[in-house]
Formats: sequence, structure tokens, C-alpha cells
Amino acid sequence: MAKKLKGEFFFLSANELKSGKIIFYSNNGWVDDFKQATKISKEEIESYEKIYQAEEAKCIIISPTFIEIDKNGEILKLRDKIRINGLTIEI
Amino acid sequence: MYKYSQKDKTLINERVEQFKYQVQRRIDGKLSEDEFKPLRLMNGLYLQLHAYMLRVAIPYGELSAVQMDKLAEISKKYDRGYGHFTTRQNIQFNWPKLIDVPNILSDLSSVEMHAIQTSGNCIRNISTDHLAGLTSDEIEDPRPWCEIIRKWSTFHPEFSFLPRKFKIAVTGSSTDRAAIKFHDIGLQIVKKNQSIGFEVYVGGGQGRSPFIAKKINDFIEKRDLLNYLEAILTTYNQLGRRDNIYKARIKILVHELGIEAFKKHVDENFEIFRSKELNLEDSFIKQTKEYFKLPNLKPSKKNIPLSKDIDFHNWLMRNSISHKINGYSIILISLKPRGKPPGDASAEQMKAIAKISEKFSFSEIRVTHEQNLVLPHIKNSDLLEVWSGLKKYNLATPNLGLITDTICCPGMDYCSLATARSIPISQKITEYYQKFDKQNDIGDLKIKISGCINACGHHHVGNIGILGLDRNGEESYQITLGGSANQNASIGKIIGPSFPEDRLFNAIEKILIVYKQNRKNSDEDFLSVFNRLGVEPFKKEVYDST
Repeated sequence: MAKKLKGEFFFLSANELKSGKIIFYSNNGWVDDFKQATKISKEEIESYEKIYQAEEAKCIIISPTFIEIDKNGEILKLRDKIRINGLTIEI
Repeated sequence: MYKYSQKDKTLINERVEQFKYQVQRRIDGKLSEDEFKPLRLMNGLYLQLHAYMLRVAIPYGELSAVQMDKLAEISKKYDRGYGHFTTRQNIQFNWPKLIDVPNILSDLSSVEMHAIQTSGNCIRNISTDHLAGLTSDEIEDPRPWCEIIRKWSTFHPEFSFLPRKFKIAVTGSSTDRAAIKFHDIGLQIVKKNQSIGFEVYVGGGQGRSPFIAKKINDFIEKRDLLNYLEAILTTYNQLGRRDNIYKARIKILVHELGIEAFKKHVDENFEIFRSKELNLEDSFIKQTKEYFKLPNLKPSKKNIPLSKDIDFHNWLMRNSISHKINGYSIILISLKPRGKPPGDASAEQMKAIAKISEKFSFSEIRVTHEQNLVLPHIKNSDLLEVWSGLKKYNLATPNLGLITDTICCPGMDYCSLATARSIPISQKITEYYQKFDKQNDIGDLKIKISGCINACGHHHVGNIGILGLDRNGEESYQITLGGSANQNASIGKIIGPSFPEDRLFNAIEKILIVYKQNRKNSDEDFLSVFNRLGVEPFKKEVYDST
């Protein structure tokens, strides 16, 4: 996954296996609130890949993904913004 | 309506138990995601942008009131209180938990429903005309044939791992309301020398490479239908590409081989299969047709109740169709009210529809491939009461076939594959053209919106098609004109470079100005004007001044 990534900083996100809900990796493990997510630099990606692989093996998460952010922690891609902030429409 | 046999019930219940066990094994770590994914997909369970998504099959778009009520209950108990009716006449729940899905499947099986054939490279849910069995322009009701094909295709051992997914649609009328020429196989019931059989089309589809299906056979006798389908599917299974997902659909095979060469292979297989065990006996056909008899409708000359309410009149004008039995109407329920995603229905709305259907429409409901619903048998004398009941639940929007009756995929709001949002575009169109007179002045017009090249929103066949793209990280929308999914099937033509959202609506407005300026009278619809003028005048107006 690391080889395909552009950008300098990232959050690690995934879906919780049992519920499917979106979660983020923080210093305290997986959390719901992306504001608590750990800012990961490009150089750290490989070590976080090991973390998510272990979490996948433990059947805690599925579909891990690195979300591209800027140096201030702002999410860059619209798809990721929708994924994190929720639908842009009224239900 | 079809009722499950004991064999059907056993099959579905066993499937629920199997999936329950598979989910438990996944959670216990005995199955990896790679091992589990094909199993969940075979049960309609996807993982989307935000959460799991469960697609439930509604065979040929037919639902009972009890089933609709159960869907409402499921949406409230396990999801977020709404469901989304799709362009394949199915329903999707967007937020189920994996651990709840076995219970959802169990609840579905209690009302003879399931999520089989809604995903994977198998023969998917068979779709048909939402007016099947109701109109006088029909040669024969296509639903029994859909059921016969469903029985043959469900868990067919040879066709469970096809090169790609496979979609079949059937129509019983020469007026195509099932988009048969945009399916892998399209079947049209026809009459030839006093015999009724099938005209067969093959290799249609949308996606990144749209094709109109080609006629492969003028007339297949009823008894040979499954033999012929088996011959086509076998040919596809033998020759279809498995090395490139983008070239794996049958439309590519038909296109690359040419229809004559493809037909030769099919005919050779047909010679092997015909007169074998798949021959359909008259008794079996008759037995299947018994399930689809009309309810006990008594012809009458009763009139529609008088009302001074203009909304009621507008609704009658747009959302009702004459039934083949005098004194009855077919009612189309619009799931495109102002400000809501096309095709969505809340639990309360689904419950209300179930109740109204139970009281007024013999407990029957249909789902259209244009993401609306149908109450098939409403007595004319009950129409005012039905309208009042629907209106209470925001289900009486009088816009069928008008500009605000858009087809729309979930787009980037829900879908992992989307390159742009589509629902907000649909909502803004609905907002801008909300006044009935404004829409009605434009007349019949189909706008179809897809959030990516996979074309789930059928943009290729929109009179105005809108395709959402990603241009350097920004959403951008490309317009096509002149598409149609009916008997005069056509693929829309791209008018030029795409627009950012803020210029899209201006472009649509200009297209409509060209249409209105050039129509001969108010009855000449958009597609007729486009076919007469061609793309150039529209293109000129849009790009010279946008």
C-alpha cells in the first residue's frame, strides 16, 4: 500500500469488522473520532502497515486505508472528507 | 404472486444457516477477509464507503404488502430507518452491522425474501416491465417467464462463476419499459403465426463501454427458452474473457466476435441442448402462470371522485395509468420528492405503502427500474382516498416522467467506486424545477445521473445524461444527450468537455432553452426534438455561451 501513496502525512483508518463503522488509529488504539487520530508521516507508513496487518489478523478491522492530510491535519480528498464527515445530503 | 414451495423454503433457510455459520467463523478468525468476501458477496453483502451495504433481491420487482412491511421493520431494527430502491428493482440497506446480517436474512426468509443473486459473477435478479400483466398492449405477462428463469438460474452450478455478472430482462410488450436492449440478454415476448415465443437480444449493457443489444434470434419457442438461454450462457462461459475485468462482460465478446459468429457458437450449443431435460412442459408453464393471475378485479364504469384540488389532478395526470380492466388504475408512487435522494423510502413510508396496498391494491406492490413504486390495481373510485393517504407521507409528488423524476446512483456519498457525487445533483435539479407548471411545460424528459463510468445511474440512456468525473481532485460533470432505454434504444452523445457543478445547471438550462425554442408544439418531447435536430444546436448554445 505504501508505494502507491502520495503526500507527506496521513491518518490510518479502517472499518470495524463486526459493525462496519469507520474507525481511526490513535495513540490509544482505534477510536471513532478522527480528531484523535495519530498523524503519520510518510516515513512511518511501513511501521503502521505492520500494525494494521496485526489488527486484521486479530479480526478487529477490515479495509485499512491511509487518508492523505496536509501538515495541519486537514483531509485533502473529497471522498475521504465524505467518509469521515458523513453524507453531504439530507436523508 | 409467486409463493415459495417447500423446496424453496428449505433452500433459503439452509442458506441463512450457512451464512450465520460463515459470519461466526469470520468473527472467530477461522476465515480471513479474502476467504469470507466471496461468501458475503454471494449473500448480497458489500462493504461501501461508510459501512456494510446489504442488497436484497426483489425478484422481477414484485413485492407483497407483508414483504414491504418487513423491509420497513428491518430498516428500523437493523439500519437507519430507510431503504434505497435500485435500478435493478432491488432494495439496499446502507448501514447494517455484519453481526446483524444473519438475523436480517432470517427475517427476510420469514416473508419469502433473500439476498441471493444480488452480487457476484452469477445470473442476477431477473428484471421486467413494472406494468407486467396490467396493460392491454401486452402479448403475454412476462412474470411467469421471469420466475421460470429465476428457478433455472438460482444456484445453477455452471453459471455461479461466470466471467462477469449477467443480467436478464423480459418484456411482454413491444413498448419496452424494462430496458431489455441494455441487458446481457433481453427477451421480448412476440407472436408469430399464432404461436407465442421469444425474440432474443444479446450483448447489451452500459458501464464504461455501452452497447445496444443485438438481435440473435427472431423466435424461440416457449418450450426451448431455457435450452436457448443455456446455449448462450454456455457460449459465454466458454469464450468470455476472464483475464481482464473490463472486457469480461458478454457485450465485449459479442462485439469482438461479431453477432453472426457468436450466433453460430450459440446455435451449435443449442443443437446439443434442445430436446434434453430443460424442455419446458406445458403443464409446468401453466402451473407457474397460476401464481400470476390477476386478483379478482370486477370491471366497472365507476368514475374517479370529483375534487377541486389541483394537486390531485396533477397527480392523476402524471402518476396514473389506465388498467386493462375497466374501472381500475395503475398508480405510480414517486420516490423523487423535493430534497430527497431518488429511490429512498423511510420505514414510515414503506409501512404506509404496505397499508395502502393492503387496503386498496390487493396487497401488491411493484418496484420500477426507474426507482419508483407501483400500486397495480386501484379502483378508480378509491383514487382520491389513495392520493390523500400517500400525500400524508410525502409520496404523492406528481412528477412521473418529468425532469425531476431522475434516476441516480448513490454516487460518492455512499459508493467506494464513485468519482463524484450524484445525489446532490439530482436534488438541485429537483429544487430548481420544483414547480409543477415549470416541469410540465418541459414535458417528458428523462435525466439520469451516474457518479462514475460504471453507469449505475444509467446516464448513457438518459435523454439528458450526467456523468460525474474527477478532474484533478475536483468534481466535474459531463453531459450526454439523446439516450433512450425504450424500444428505440439509443446511447447518448457526449456534447463536449465536462463542467464544474456551478456551471452544470446553467448548461442544462441552455439545453432546455434550445429544446423549447425548437419544438413544433408542446407535445413534441425533448427526445423527438433532439432526434430531429441532432446534437449541434445544443452544443453550440452550451459551449458558445456557458
